[in-house]
Amino acid sequence: MDFRLTEEQELLLESLREIMARDCTEEYMKECNEKGEYPTRFINALSENGFGLLGVPEEHDGTPVDTMTMMLVAEEITKNGGPHFAFGQALSIVDMLEFGSEEQIADTMRAVKAGEVAFVLGFTEPQAGSDSSAIATTYTRKNGKVYINGHKTFMSNALRAPYMLCMARNADDAGNPDKMNAFSMWWVPMSAPGIKVERLHKIGWHMMDTCEVYLENVEIEEKDLVGVEGNGFKQVLINFEVERLLMAASVLGMAECAFEDAARYANQRVQFGKPIGTFQLIQEKITYMKIKIENMRNMVYRCAWEIDNKMPVQISSALAKLYCAQSSFEVIDDAMQIMGGIGYTTDTRISRLWLDSRVFRIGGGTDEVMIHAAGRAILKQYK
Amino acid sequence: MNIITCYKIVPEEQDIVVLPDRSLSFARAEWKIGQYDLNAIEAGMQIVEAAGGKVSALSVGDKQLENSKLKKGVLSRGPEDLYLVMDEQLENSDTFLTAQVLTAAIRKIGEFDLVICGEGSSDLYAQQVGAQLGEMLNIPTINGISKITPEGNKIIAERTLGNEIEVLEISLPAVVSVTTDINLPRIPSMKNILAAGKKPIIEWDLSAVGLQGVTKQTEVISTLAPENVERKKVIFEGESEEVIQKLFESIRKELL
Ligand SMILES: Cc1cc2nc3c(=O)[nH]c(=O)nc-3n(C[C@H](O)[C@H](O)[C@H](O)COP(=O)(O)OP(=O)(O)OC[C@H]3O[C@@H](n4cnc5c(N)ncnc54)[C@H](O)[C@@H]3O)c2cc1C
Repeated sequence: MDFRLTEEQELLLESLREIMARDCTEEYMKECNEKGEYPTRFINALSENGFGLLGVPEEHDGTPVDTMTMMLVAEEITKNGGPHFAFGQALSIVDMLEFGSEEQIADTMRAVKAGEVAFVLGFTEPQAGSDSSAIATTYTRKNGKVYINGHKTFMSNALRAPYMLCMARNADDAGNPDKMNAFSMWWVPMSAPGIKVERLHKIGWHMMDTCEVYLENVEIEEKDLVGVEGNGFKQVLINFEVERLLMAASVLGMAECAFEDAARYANQRVQFGKPIGTFQLIQEKITYMKIKIENMRNMVYRCAWEIDNKMPVQISSALAKLYCAQSSFEVIDDAMQIMGGIGYTTDTRISRLWLDSRVFRIGGGTDEVMIHAAGRAILKQYK
Repeated sequence: MNIITCYKIVPEEQDIVVLPDRSLSFARAEWKIGQYDLNAIEAGMQIVEAAGGKVSALSVGDKQLENSKLKKGVLSRGPEDLYLVMDEQLENSDTFLTAQVLTAAIRKIGEFDLVICGEGSSDLYAQQVGAQLGEMLNIPTINGISKITPEGNKIIAERTLGNEIEVLEISLPAVVSVTTDINLPRIPSMKNILAAGKKPIIEWDLSAVGLQGVTKQTEVISTLAPENVERKKVIFEGESEEVIQKLFESIRKELL
């Protein structure tokens, strides 16, 4: 096993650290977080230095790299206290590049090249969370046009993205029990009449908006269908494993960030006449935090390596997402414990990491859904 | 315009360890391109982007230069090719020997219009090499340059002198040393990094540049970190001129 990074990967991470030292200082992160503002300065800096097109195929003017490199970048951003959502669009646009029409691909790439979010992922609805097959948003054909009606919730970036990749079912086919073939993807301009967006109030992830989106008789065209009618679910499935892994890499970085802050603090903070790091109860925490970080990193890197070697990752990607989401929160929680009262204030970034990491156990497939995905597949191997 | 930018490989400051006998250990230090030399490379890149031409990078030193990541690192910042003079004799080279070897290398490279150096190396910061190099090449040499505008077969350069700006017209070929405020060095993207691996690297030893047997004229006898001193634990209270003067006086007394 060779755990060394390539020289190119090391240089890339050095570039990333240089960018972050200039445009993603803790002071800036704190300001964006407090004001609920998008970290535009950092996102632009990443984009200007080619990170927005990292992992995008060459035919779309990108710089293709392997999955491992993508994960290293995602990890490094959060490890340095940066926002997890700043990187990885190359992975979420794979569906569009694969199934989108020429025009839809052009729309997507225009945004990506400008460092902007191309689209809102329009899945979740009030009654359809883990159970996507309960999606009730419909499309109806009338007078040569297509009309979308429904209510999407937890729509990340709805206030800034120009399009929604909207999962909807055919209104004429409402009672269809067939889960795999009932849904189609539509490319809906967020500026279309009939769309209403309301920001949700979250406890964390303040730099990025997450919204309710109401769609009422939103008129689109036949050409706005993405891919093949009825293939919505199949089309989404082509890339979800690597997107899961990306979340695992991001939370890994957040745990490392909190861990390093806490370890430094443990060496500095004096109580009872000694640095608190000399107390065995603190050392125990530090040790187990480190073990969890090593485990997370091994799972993320290994799964990335499997993807790069075209091996199946149905189980390992679910395990990595599940384990990292849980362990990262545990590590950050222990880091807060080591920091004591100051860790609970907004003076330290531990408090932000604590709030921001918790949602990874819910979004992108809950812990329970990961178990559902992995558990059956693992047992099947022993049948 | 053909530009040669010179750079030095230096140890990462944070990795330098002060040993109990106050000497410095570089054993665990990562090596990197000198911080000020990045400004020189960037200055070269901006000139050729504005006026056409080509930037070559040049460094002289010992085996640290073999580090292939550092070679890619410098090329990822823009230069089209890289020249290295590597020789054990050049370990801890002094400024005179460095300038001598750079001169020989530049003569061997052949055609050039402008040589750009950083304002100093980020380890020893003697600020000597640029000036000595110009003298040895027998061409105009100016340091402290904070702006360069190419204009035909000369450059218009600016130097900041206190509140004044001196504007100079420098005929080419010339050697200039640039300050850190001349630019903000670009950050290499993955495209640049991947491209760097394919650029030509020309490696020479001392005999290849006709300098076999040269040695440095100076010898460093010791480099020691300042001795740790006890905290003075003197507290000055207030904001008046008088208090500030007292603080100043007592610091001054300590330093003298
Ligand atoms: C900040 C944020 C951003 C988001 N961004 C987006 C976005 O951009 N686009 C988008 O489409 N969605 C987005 N989501 C939605 C996210 O994908 C859902 O929250 C997630 O899928 C869970 O759905 P739910 O919240 O309705 O919970 P539910 O599905 O209602 O689950 C509630 C609980 O029941 C458990 N549960 C459900 N089914 C089972 C089962 N079969 N067995 C055992 N336990 C079960 C769950 O694990 C969970 O613990 C976002 C969510 C958040 C919080």
